[in-house]
Parts: sequence; C-alpha cells; structure tokens
Amino acid sequence: MNVLPLVLYAAAGIAYAVHFARREPQVGRLATTLLIFAALSHTFVIGMQTMEVRHVPFANPSRAVSTFVWLLALSYLYLEVTTDERAMGVFIVPMLVGLQTIPAVSPGIERIDPVLDSPWFWVHVSSLLFAYASFGLAGVLGLTYVVQFKEIKKKHLGYFYTRLPSLQTLDVMNARAVAVGWLFLTLGVVVGAIWTAQARAAVPDDPNLQAMALNDPKIFVAILTWGVYSFAVLARRTLGWTGRRAAWLSAVGFAIVLLNFLPINYFVTTSHTF
Amino acid sequence: MHLLLVGVSHRTAPVDLRERLDFSSRDVGAAVESLAARAGTTVESVVLSTCNRSEIYVATSDPSHARVELVTFLSDYHALPRDVFLPHLFTYDDAAAAHHLFRVAAGLESLVVGEPQILGQVKDALQVAAQRRCTGPLLNKTFHSAFGVGKRVRAETALGEGAVSVSFAAVALARKIFGRLQGRRVLVVGAGEISALTAQHLRSHGAAEIVITSRTAAHAEALAADVDGRALPWSEMTAAIAHADIVVTATGSQRPIITRADIAAATGRRRLDPLFIIDIAVPRDVDPSVTEIEQVFLYNVDDLQNVVQENLARRSAEIARAEAIVAEELARFTAWQRSRRAIPTVVALRQRFEEIRRRELQRLDGRFTGLPPETRGRIDEVTRLIVEKLLLEPTEQLKALPDEETQAMYTEAVNRLFRLGEAAIDAADAETEPRPTDQARRPK
Repeated sequence: MNVLPLVLYAAAGIAYAVHFARREPQVGRLATTLLIFAALSHTFVIGMQTMEVRHVPFANPSRAVSTFVWLLALSYLYLEVTTDERAMGVFIVPMLVGLQTIPAVSPGIERIDPVLDSPWFWVHVSSLLFAYASFGLAGVLGLTYVVQFKEIKKKHLGYFYTRLPSLQTLDVMNARAVAVGWLFLTLGVVVGAIWTAQARAAVPDDPNLQAMALNDPKIFVAILTWGVYSFAVLARRTLGWTGRRAAWLSAVGFAIVLLNFLPINYFVTTSHTF
Repeated sequence: MHLLLVGVSHRTAPVDLRERLDFSSRDVGAAVESLAARAGTTVESVVLSTCNRSEIYVATSDPSHARVELVTFLSDYHALPRDVFLPHLFTYDDAAAAHHLFRVAAGLESLVVGEPQILGQVKDALQVAAQRRCTGPLLNKTFHSAFGVGKRVRAETALGEGAVSVSFAAVALARKIFGRLQGRRVLVVGAGEISALTAQHLRSHGAAEIVITSRTAAHAEALAADVDGRALPWSEMTAAIAHADIVVTATGSQRPIITRADIAAATGRRRLDPLFIIDIAVPRDVDPSVTEIEQVFLYNVDDLQNVVQENLARRSAEIARAEAIVAEELARFTAWQRSRRAIPTVVALRQRFEEIRRRELQRLDGRFTGLPPETRGRIDEVTRLIVEKLLLEPTEQLKALPDEETQAMYTEAVNRLFRLGEAAIDAADAETEPRPTDQARRPK
C-alpha cells in the first residue's frame, strides 16, 4: 500500500530535479502537481490504515516513518505554496523517497496494544512526528543556507547561487520551521512524560513502561534534541544567532533527529518497542 | 505580397547617424502615417525605432520599387541627403527580414545580448502602426510571430539572465543576500558616478534609506538630492556603518579609509545581521581582511566585474539555444508565407474549374427543362462537390510544398497545365464548345 505514494514521490523528485537544473516553469508546475498527488495518495493510505486500526498508524517504526514522510510532504507543500519558492523541493523530495522506501519494503504490523489505547499516545506521537517534519524542513533550509553563504562569501557565484532563494528568505523560513518544530517537540515530550506517569499507575508491570526513563537511548536523544533546538530558539532571540550559525544548528539538530528516528528506533531503544 | 525591411542599427551605423535617423524622438505614429499616405507599392508599414535602431518594415507587391520609395521617404522625412545614410542602410526581404525581426525580438541583435526592453519596444511599434490602420495580415503575422520568439527565448533560455553591469551586479547580489530590499539602509561613501548609479538602482529596488557622505560635503548633498537621500558629515562615516545594511564606497583615497576595526566595531552592535560592502574604489577603500568577519560580504570592483563577465559568458552560452528557437519559428513562418503565396494560383484554379462547371451546366440547361427543380438542384450540388473534391488534394499539396523553388515550379506548372490567367481562360472557353464525342463519353 505504501508503494503507490513512493512511486509518485519518486516521479515528483525527478521532476523537481529537472526543474532545478533547467529552471523551466512548466516542469516546476508538473513537479508540484506530482507531489500533490503523491501526498493525496499517501493521505489515502494512511486514512485506510487509520480505519483499520482505529488510530493514526504509528505504533510501529515503519508506519511512524510513513506518517513522518506524509507530514513532511504536507509541510513542504505548505511552504512552497505560501512562499512560491520551488527550489527546496529538490532537497526535500529525495528525502521523502528515501524514507518512504522503508514502509514500502517492510510495512510492519500495527499491534493494538491496550497500553497505547489512549488519547495521550496519539497527541504524543503526532506532535513529535510533526516536530520532526518541521526540523527536516529547517535542516534542509539550513544546509542550503550554508552552501549559498559560502558561494557568496567566496565570490564563486555558481550553480546554487542562481537557483536558491535569498539568504534572508532561507533564514526567515528556517527560523519559522525551527520555532514551530520546537513548540511541537515540547508538547510531545511533555505529553509523553504525563502519559507515562499515568500509564505506570494503571499498568504497573508493563516492561515497556518500566524502561521509559532518561537512560533509555531514545528518550535521552529526544531530550538532547530538545536541548539543541531550545538553544537554537533562544540563541536567535538573545544572542542574535541568525544566518549561518542558526543554519548549522538546525542541520545538526536534524541529523540527531534522524539518528533517533532510524537506527535508534529500530535497534537500540528498549522502551519504545511497539 | 513581400516583406521588406530597410533600416540602420548599432551594427551598421555610428551613433550620430542613428540619432539623425531616429523616429522615437519625434512621433513614430506620425511617421507611419506619413509613410502610408505616400502613393507607392507598400500596403502595410511598421516603424521600429529605439536608441540602437531605426527600422521600417513594409508589405509590398514590388520589393525593389519599395526600397527606392523607402530611401526617398527616409531622406525626405529626416531631411538628410540619401548619400549620407545609404552606405549604412541594410535591406532584407521576406524570410531574411522576418529572421532579422525575430532576432531583434529575441534580444540577439541588442547591444547587450538578451536585454529585456526590446520585446516591449517591438510590441509598441506594431501597436502604434495598428492604431493608425497601417498594418495588415502580413505584418501582423510577422510581428506576432516575433513576439512568440521573444517570449520563448525568455522562457526557455537564460539569454536575459544575470546582471551585465557593475551596478546591477551589485544590486543582484544585495537581493541575493537580503531578499527584498524594502527597509534596507544604504550608506554611500564618496559620490562618484558608479556609486550614484548603484544607489539609484538600490533605491528603485526598494531600499528605504540612502545616506551619503563625502569628503566634499557639496558632492554628498548633490547626490543626496538626486537619489532622494540624506547627506551626512564625513566625520560620522564610521559610526554610520553600524546602521547600514549595504555600504557602497567609491572615494579617491589612496589608502583604505575603512579598517577592519571600524567594521568590527560596527558589526559588534549589529550582531549577525549581514553587512554587504561594495568597494568600487580603485585603489580600494576597505581593508580586504574585513571579509574574515563572519557576517560581512565584501565585493570590490574586480569581483563585480568578474560577476559581470561570468554573466556575459553565461548569456553567450545561451545564444545557440536562442538561435535554434529563432530558426524553428522562422521555418514555421516561412511555411505559412509559402502557403499564402500559393493562394492566387489556388484561387485562379478554383475559378477556372467553377467557370467550366457553370458553362457546362448552362449549355445543358435546355436538356434539363423537363426535370423537376429538386433534381436540377441535386445536379448542381453534385457537380459542385465533384469539382471541390477534385481540387482539394492538389491545392493542399501546393500549399504544403517544402521550399520556395519547388513551389514556384509547381505553381508555374499548374498555371500552364490549366492555362490560368485572363487570356488563358478565354482561350480555354473556346475549346470547350460542345463536340459530339464529348457528349457520348459523358456519363448520364
């Protein structure tokens, strides 16, 4: 079921790449149309899975990745439509394709664990996934900022210079994406903590719940992520860390997010093994 | 009908001659009208006049005559003896004229290749002529094809991209750093020509405030009045850097007047907001090591020249693609023109066949008297359909012939085979007098 969106994402990715290289407006419109169709088909897939298990499917890593891809696609489309800026698609969409391969190859089975049957769980995971999607956007914006910053500074006005939006635009978009992501990350972490406390009281002997503490790698890295982004938000406001430093912070932050989301999620964590 | 172009451009004529042949300083519309009012062989005319070219496009039945008429017109209208401009005048007809116009609209004939204004000027030229009813099917088609070329070249190639002057390159960089320039503050140090031009461009792109300082206060004030800015005493120059987003320096000083310490002091207060310094002065006004400060982008005149050179190189790399579009559209245009050229022959051929049909029906009228009117109507319709069907394929083929020579050959052949033209038709009529054998062969 996750294959159709994958194929459409891939087609959109190719169109974005061609558009980036040749800068033909028709190709750009085609790319956006393909991505919209990809997101729609993905919405349909997730909708079906939701009907099937009675909640948004993210209680196993593959399905969480799929939902993350879907949220990132929607966030990117929102960014593109509101700023009329297509150049970032060439960086975002391949990431969507890469991540979407995981659920397409191994869809995983959504278990309905009674522990998870709580509105807290839904809020916890969806806000974290949305936060990660925002950080994904911010990370890509940050990287492109750094690349273009270098080109202008070194006076090699090359390939990216002619194709990317201005530094200022990238910085403003980055700031917004980080701020939105940080809000949802905070919400997700707080809700997670409350929910754990409640669930522990209700089901005291669940091994999953027992492992939920700071020494669990997944939780630890999530808190680390929160620290990095809190610093990014704070440093922008108080220290004036805009531009290149903010860009680096958001790139590093997203690298940590990906680390947490993929290897740790699949292999290391002892608590979030659903 | 032929297309004819007579004109001068920056490639063929020096500026003083172009000025004397210029129509735009006077009323182009009046020129087109006075050209149309002259008795002659031209039936449509458009005058395209910019600072780099004065060109007259006409549709004429006789190009060589029309050329003489246009030379006379130019000479009369501008009160210039023809010997003065004849050596600089170029003349193109038909496909060559269309080719030239397409290249002009594409920006390939411009002084700065890919320059954007020319397409608008070509459009205006047609509009002015059309308003005075001086255009017709040929020039309308030619000019609209040219607009199509201009549009395609802009959309499909990068011929017009990238700034090609130092001041525009500076503005393009500023926009790449700051996005929109609205609300940005500019400090101009030293009031020279390029700094004035750069300040003007920055202003027209929305820069909020332009502050000018110069060792000679009067210069600063003069430039401030020009660009709607504010003059500042020279002593406050370094302090003013802290409030500026863009600094343009162009003094005649022999030693750097802005040191790294000045910039460091200014940037300390402005945190990491970018500061774009454009140092146009030679020798340089700004210590080159300021580029080591994180948020400072420093470009000197050579850097900007390099940008301009790169852009020019990029544009010339696009010329081949633009030429290909021109060639493609020209092929389409000449095919259209050829199909039009076949029209007189096609019309004559149809008339000829129709004439024969009607004469034959008239001749047989006596035998049809006994038939009911609807049958007679049917006979008329059937014969008409037969003639039309017989002619359909040959006329389509004639219009679609691939080149002019073949078409001329075929047209000539058709003219001879069917003896088209007045005398031929009369002679042909004489031969179609009824003969018994004909009657016998004709199907009932």
